[in-house]
Amino acid sequence: MRLIWDELGKALPMIFHGNPQLLDVIWFTVQVAVVATAAATLIGLPIGLALALGRFRGRNLLRALANASLALPPVLVGVFLFILFSPAAPLGFLHLIWTRRVVFIAQTILALPFVVALSAAAIQALAPGLLAQARLLGAGRLQVSMLALREARIGVIAALIAALGTSLAEVAAVALLGGNIYGYDQTLASATLYEVGGGYYADAVAIGIVLIVLILILMCGLGVLQQQGNGIRMRFRSAA
Amino acid sequence: MSDAAGDPRVMLRCERLSVRRGRREVVHDVSAELRAGEIIALLGPNGAGKSTLLDALAGALPAAQGRIERRGRVAVALQSPDLARRTVLANVVLALAWWGVPRGNRAPRAREALRAIGAEHLAARPAATLSGGERRRVHLARAIAVRPDILLLDEPFAGLDAEVRASLLEDALSALRSATRATLVVVHDRAEAWALADRLLILIDGRLVATGPPRELLEQPPSLEVAHFLGFDGRLDDGLEVVLTRPAHVALDPAGPVHGRVTRAIPLEDGVRLELELEHGRLYTVAPLPAPGPGDDVRVRLEGGVRFPRFEASAPVPSTAP
Repeated sequence: MRLIWDELGKALPMIFHGNPQLLDVIWFTVQVAVVATAAATLIGLPIGLALALGRFRGRNLLRALANASLALPPVLVGVFLFILFSPAAPLGFLHLIWTRRVVFIAQTILALPFVVALSAAAIQALAPGLLAQARLLGAGRLQVSMLALREARIGVIAALIAALGTSLAEVAAVALLGGNIYGYDQTLASATLYEVGGGYYADAVAIGIVLIVLILILMCGLGVLQQQGNGIRMRFRSAA
Repeated sequence: MSDAAGDPRVMLRCERLSVRRGRREVVHDVSAELRAGEIIALLGPNGAGKSTLLDALAGALPAAQGRIERRGRVAVALQSPDLARRTVLANVVLALAWWGVPRGNRAPRAREALRAIGAEHLAARPAATLSGGERRRVHLARAIAVRPDILLLDEPFAGLDAEVRASLLEDALSALRSATRATLVVVHDRAEAWALADRLLILIDGRLVATGPPRELLEQPPSLEVAHFLGFDGRLDDGLEVVLTRPAHVALDPAGPVHGRVTRAIPLEDGVRLELELEHGRLYTVAPLPAPGPGDDVRVRLEGGVRFPRFEASAPVPSTAP
């Protein structure tokens, strides 16, 4: 117990003195989380819509796969991408290993299942009559999709929260693919791991505290947006 | 499927139409026409295939056999009045957007439709706060607002209490009437059909068993099956014929020619529904209070009913019973 207080006592001044390296890690973490979540949203929402609204053979199997991918161990994704991007591999010519770009790619892949599976589930939970009625009154595919997203917005934003949470907290794939290189491609989570590995517990605690505060700020922001979606009109209009 | 040819007033025609749900054929060999200015009620018991037929007429289900011809655009109001999470006016405007109405025309048309169905006062209300009856009104307004050539309504009054249903029916009666539009309403309740329709289609077990004006069908049901469905619940064997009656055809009269005994008495709001056991059958009537009770002997006079040959149920001999 004393050790915790001691390390906290050392950690807090580090945070409040604005360590420039810590600020760099915070900025990179925010970039990775926002870009990965945005990319996963752009890719994942159309897939989630197709799984929820589409009528094609194998839809149930794809839904089951999307749900199963929620439990995908990040280290496994890291290993798979490492094999794919390693210099001798088919995509080795891209020279992505131990770069910042691969961290963005890995985090996007890890966030994607949350967007796909949770948004599909939210849309499937809608009253089927509304979407069927829209089709029967002439709504096109885009209009029905926008209506579904708007009506399921609470669940869809929950999917984005989960994706953002993964992007902020995941460490294994980042460490494996990016190398967790000090001062270059560390995120707050991987930097915590790095400091613990080096025995710098006060630094690890400081970074951990910053990570928790960042998670709280971003999640609260999305939470407010989600609750607004429940009660207040959002500028997230159906295609009309 | 193509545009209805020939008679320009025919907006929708199906010929020898059969429709499947999955592997099961639910609608068999149905032929019917829907004309401009006409309101038709599609009536039948639960599971008769009414909604399946409506889906096929709307183009939402393919025809397994036969053909459907349509003239103009079809709008369908499904049975479930699901609305989007926005205001009532925005819901109707949204429907107009789906239909392809130019943006500038949507709000005035939406207000006009809400006014027609008696829901203008709800325009600013969020849909989530509406009662069941109000949701049905908005649902109907949405279908009317798009001004389709052919309007198909699936049980628009389902699940409403008697008072709300009567009020909505009254407003729908004028709102649905249009000289250029053909309207088909699926109804479960006969009273709704009488109130709304120029013509009835009666569907039983997926087959169209009767078609015609409501009064005509009631006075002259074409078969025992249709008569039973139309509420002819009394039956009296009379030689080689069967007399079927509705409660309104049976009057208690001390000087009546037929003797019976009350076997059951069910209190109603304005009287008692009596089940009468007769020597050659069983009749039902509604008597005002004070009414006889179970076990009482009564005399009965018949004031209507239809006769069918006893062994040929399909060929009616319409006439007033003795």
